[in-house]
Amino acid sequence: MSSTSLPPGLQIEKVDERIMTLNVGPQHPGSGHMRIIVKIDGDYIVSADPDPGYVHRGEEKMAEYRNYILNIPHLERPVIHDSCNVLYPYCLGAEELLGLEVPERAKYLRVIASELNRCVYIQYWLAIYGIFLGHSTMFMWPAGDRELLIDMLEKMTGARVTHSYFVPGGIRNDVPANFEDMLLKRVNYFEKRIKEYAAVFAGKLSREDAIRLGTTGSTLRASGVNFDLRVKEPYDAYGELDVNVPVLKEGDSYARSKIPWLDMLESCNIIRQAVQKMPKSGSVRVKLKPNPKGGNDEVYKRVESGRGSLGCYIVSRNTPEPYRLKLSVGSFRNLICLPYLLKGEKLGNMPAVYWSLNYWPVEADR
Amino acid sequence: MGTATGIIKALNSGIKHLAVKRFTLRYPEQKLKLVGDGYQFDPSTGVGIAGYKGRHMLFHDHCTGCQLCSIACEGVAEAIAMVKVQEDWKQNKKAIMPQIDYGKCVFCGLCVDACPFYALYMTNDYELSSFTKEGLIYTPAQLQVKPNIAQDVELKFDNPRGATHG
Ligand code: SF4
Ligand code: SF4
Repeated sequence: MSSTSLPPGLQIEKVDERIMTLNVGPQHPGSGHMRIIVKIDGDYIVSADPDPGYVHRGEEKMAEYRNYILNIPHLERPVIHDSCNVLYPYCLGAEELLGLEVPERAKYLRVIASELNRCVYIQYWLAIYGIFLGHSTMFMWPAGDRELLIDMLEKMTGARVTHSYFVPGGIRNDVPANFEDMLLKRVNYFEKRIKEYAAVFAGKLSREDAIRLGTTGSTLRASGVNFDLRVKEPYDAYGELDVNVPVLKEGDSYARSKIPWLDMLESCNIIRQAVQKMPKSGSVRVKLKPNPKGGNDEVYKRVESGRGSLGCYIVSRNTPEPYRLKLSVGSFRNLICLPYLLKGEKLGNMPAVYWSLNYWPVEADR
Repeated sequence: MGTATGIIKALNSGIKHLAVKRFTLRYPEQKLKLVGDGYQFDPSTGVGIAGYKGRHMLFHDHCTGCQLCSIACEGVAEAIAMVKVQEDWKQNKKAIMPQIDYGKCVFCGLCVDACPFYALYMTNDYELSSFTKEGLIYTPAQLQVKPNIAQDVELKFDNPRGATHG
């Protein structure tokens, strides 16, 4: 059969005797559905082709039919464990479009909530990484310690994972009484615990490649590039806080999994600083008109999420709904280096390399 | 770190952890204490009151049947339907009140934010499972009931052998 008689999009592949094609996934290779088509020669990977798109939810299209407030619950679904950070750029963008000024106290509370969320996300990610590597302690410790901060977020926002806490113009509710006390107790204990992880802990990405492939977040910082939006483009209260972003030079899977761990220690520092500098009382939310309309304008805002920079582009055309909303996510950008990293690796190293990229399938597909 | 020291360190930490108290919460025998009486919203200030976002509570003497909660939920989960009630309230001429389908609700609390008459709040009740789909649909009469739950276990940090529940 000649290739011209095939329906468009299909090709006939030449079969090599030695090469075998393996489909890893799409049934949940870890978290979220995604497939990696690997070609192996014996035990070595000849080529790897990541195939995302199984959990596409049309978040961006849905956003065009909902007003600025009703967009909140569904926009945090891409990464429920990091829901405050996912919502952050959207809120920053909507605030600019609607011309809202966020109260000072809300800015600090947002920083605290998003740092807590970053820790919760990284703990979950580490736990899954533990499963990938068949390491049960590495699963149980993060999954247990995560509970401390989830409990804190629950007291703060009223929900364990999908908080719906940020709104354009501030946050939904002020924190409960003696919040600082509870928070510091947990954060200090949490920090002690994650320091213990040091007792428990292939594929190399060079600094040049990391920049060329456009990676972001922990993948980029594990290759020696010091780029973190919390420092480079500080948003909300981050400008007033002292953030020391961890950077490692090795560029291998171990470095890529160590960076988030160092990030958690840094988050504990940021939270302590924010609690100190936060105004002790004051308003946390500006009052909104019902169905606020954005002008004839467009904005692009980005924040540092658990998986790297996360951008939100909103176009507004004088309507209560966004005309177009686009999310640019770290997961998808990091996935691009998977074929480069896996080439020549052993098949057994694949899980370690794949999950070290800090890739979240649902976020990549949106 | 050399391999040998690494192994010794790991073993050491394993032995130390034999003495660490168990962190696990024994749910459902124990239930974690939550702050407040559930998420509430104050329309006069436009700010919510911290609390758990659980099952709703409807105050029949405040509800005017204005449908704002159901309109808010239309953009979220379409969980709220307005149904007729056989009650006579002078503020509720149409005699309609929200009925909430917990098979659809995502507990975002935006309906609570939308209610301008202090009629809809959330409570600490999160145990809503049911054997039938119909059992998840709460009528206005069911939403009126204040949940009775014993949640009293708190996280403790004072133990030197690690944090525990209760
Ligand atoms: S909490 Fe959210 S999903 Fe549930 S009924 Fe209210 S608006 Fe709808
Ligand atoms: S609960 Fe509140 S928003 Fe809903 S119909 Fe009653 S008064 Fe209106």
